Amino acid sequence: MTPLSIALNLALSFTGLAALCLAMDRHHRAIAGRGQSRARARALRLGGWAAIAASFAAAILTSDWNFGPVQWIGSLTGAALLVVGLASYRPAWIRPAALLALPLALAAALLA
Amino acid sequence: MRLGFRQSMAWLHTWAGLVTGWVMFAVFVTGTATYYRADISLWMRPELRAGPSEPAPAAERGLAYLKAHAPKAMAWYVSLPQPDRPLIGVYWMDSLEAPLGQATLDVGTGAPTVARDTQGGDFLYRFHTELQMMPTLGRWIVGLCAMIMLVALISGIVTHRRIFSDFFTFRRDKAAQRAWLDAHNVTGVLALPFHLMITYTGIVTLALMYMPWGVTAAYRGDDLRFYVEAAQTTTWSPAAGRPGEAAPLTPLLERAQGEVSEPLEMVIVNNPGDANATVVAVFEEPHGLAHQHPQIAFDAVSGKVVERVGALKPAARVFTSFMGLHEAHFASDALRLLFFLCGLMGSATIATGLVLWSVARMPKSGETPGLGLRLVRGLNIGTILGLPIGIAALFLANRLLPLDLPQRATWEGAAFFGAWALAALVPLARPHRRAWSEMGLAAGLLFGAVPVVSWLTTDRGLDFAGFDAAMLGLGLVLALGARKVARYEGRRAAPAERGPALGLVKA
Repeated sequence: MTPLSIALNLALSFTGLAALCLAMDRHHRAIAGRGQSRARARALRLGGWAAIAASFAAAILTSDWNFGPVQWIGSLTGAALLVVGLASYRPAWIRPAALLALPLALAAALLA
Repeated sequence: MRLGFRQSMAWLHTWAGLVTGWVMFAVFVTGTATYYRADISLWMRPELRAGPSEPAPAAERGLAYLKAHAPKAMAWYVSLPQPDRPLIGVYWMDSLEAPLGQATLDVGTGAPTVARDTQGGDFLYRFHTELQMMPTLGRWIVGLCAMIMLVALISGIVTHRRIFSDFFTFRRDKAAQRAWLDAHNVTGVLALPFHLMITYTGIVTLALMYMPWGVTAAYRGDDLRFYVEAAQTTTWSPAAGRPGEAAPLTPLLERAQGEVSEPLEMVIVNNPGDANATVVAVFEEPHGLAHQHPQIAFDAVSGKVVERVGALKPAARVFTSFMGLHEAHFASDALRLLFFLCGLMGSATIATGLVLWSVARMPKSGETPGLGLRLVRGLNIGTILGLPIGIAALFLANRLLPLDLPQRATWEGAAFFGAWALAALVPLARPHRRAWSEMGLAAGLLFGAVPVVSWLTTDRGLDFAGFDAAMLGLGLVLALGARKVARYEGRRAAPAERGPALGLVKA
């Protein structure tokens, strides 16, 4: 339950939720200015759920079954609030932020 | 009138939320602050420096004070200094009915503390659990409201038709009612696991107070045996009535510390001075979710171990884990911040719900608002901005009241309630929208003043940088909110913008 393990959780949850947000047509249109193919939406949805699953695995591996689930759910709430805030106030930042979160997650995973 | 299932749930959600909203907002805000109770306590006693200290000498100092000042008590309690609470707390019980006597001692000398007389972070904690009323009454009110809040949460989930498709949706640039509804939904849904957990565990924590009959029936009135079997306390044995010579304390504590790796938290002496006296060493929670304190009881005269409390049976483990989840003592700094954020989102869910009720019933231009709407509006602003104003006044009073004022801690509480009452009454005499911006600005200025006044009246400099930053941040958010209200042009929603979901709120 170190700050690094929570940073890893937050980064993975954020990427996952941002992908799920982009997979929804209404948000994709608002963020990217155009629609998307069905295949792309499905790929985003798959990737999003995979990142959320990876976030769960990271929580269990770094904080075990005692605190892992608490930490995972907390990180999902924090990350989701960030996604909603960006989608409403700075939609153009979501994609770069989601891509930036991945190397941050990697760095936190290597250090944690 | 017959309503469909979802509509009747919407009705239930609206009214269950409204009647408990003001109390639950205050409980959520003070509970969220209580995640930082230790930090608030340190800030409110600027004379003390946080730091490590040896438990055994502190325990001896506490016992020496109790021997001199409460020799006839039934039990003594010495709460030992912790890094975030550098004080010795001594408490004594004269009888089962009388309230505990108490004093606060300095770690180094064992004399009554030089720190200012204040409840510290315990003030907001006591408001959170019992609204600063008589404990039983306050806990019943909070518990009843929490139960209705749980009803509001579950009926709210049923009412919300598009949890997943609106998961990330916050349309702040649409009609006012739509934006409030989105804000209510987003803060409610994104932290829903927290809201359900915190409300449920909050009720469960006091379940034995609300429903004592199971224990009374199963243990035939011997409730104390239940608490012993649930590993919450050691067995109480009555005094022998003969004096006994107590063994030295420090060796007993050293033996106890050899068995348990957690830090010592408290030393209890039952029947002090009696031949049947026991000394109980109480330790901090081991690392884990459960809120449970290992305890070792010694015969005070012979020094033999008479009881060990620690192993939990499954039911007790579940119960203490619920309490542990609610209090989050286990949380590290980063996780605590996430709990704090969730608490803020819970407060925001309640506040936006209350505002939404009044926005959905906004009178058409030219109509005068009815009594119900005016009542709700007055209570809304009086609670949502009045409570923060009260909290800022509490912190300011902590720094500004004279140090030698008799009953100083009570006066700090009076500042909290006085400022809150004033902040609730003044808006009644002002136009509604302007009252929101004026009170918001007042709250922002008061929070902004807290670190400034603290810098001017103490010599602690930047020791409390985190607390000061939190106060400045709160002040800034409140002032920006006030500016937004002041600049808001009451854009009327065009009828076409009102989606079907909005009708439900009014159902």
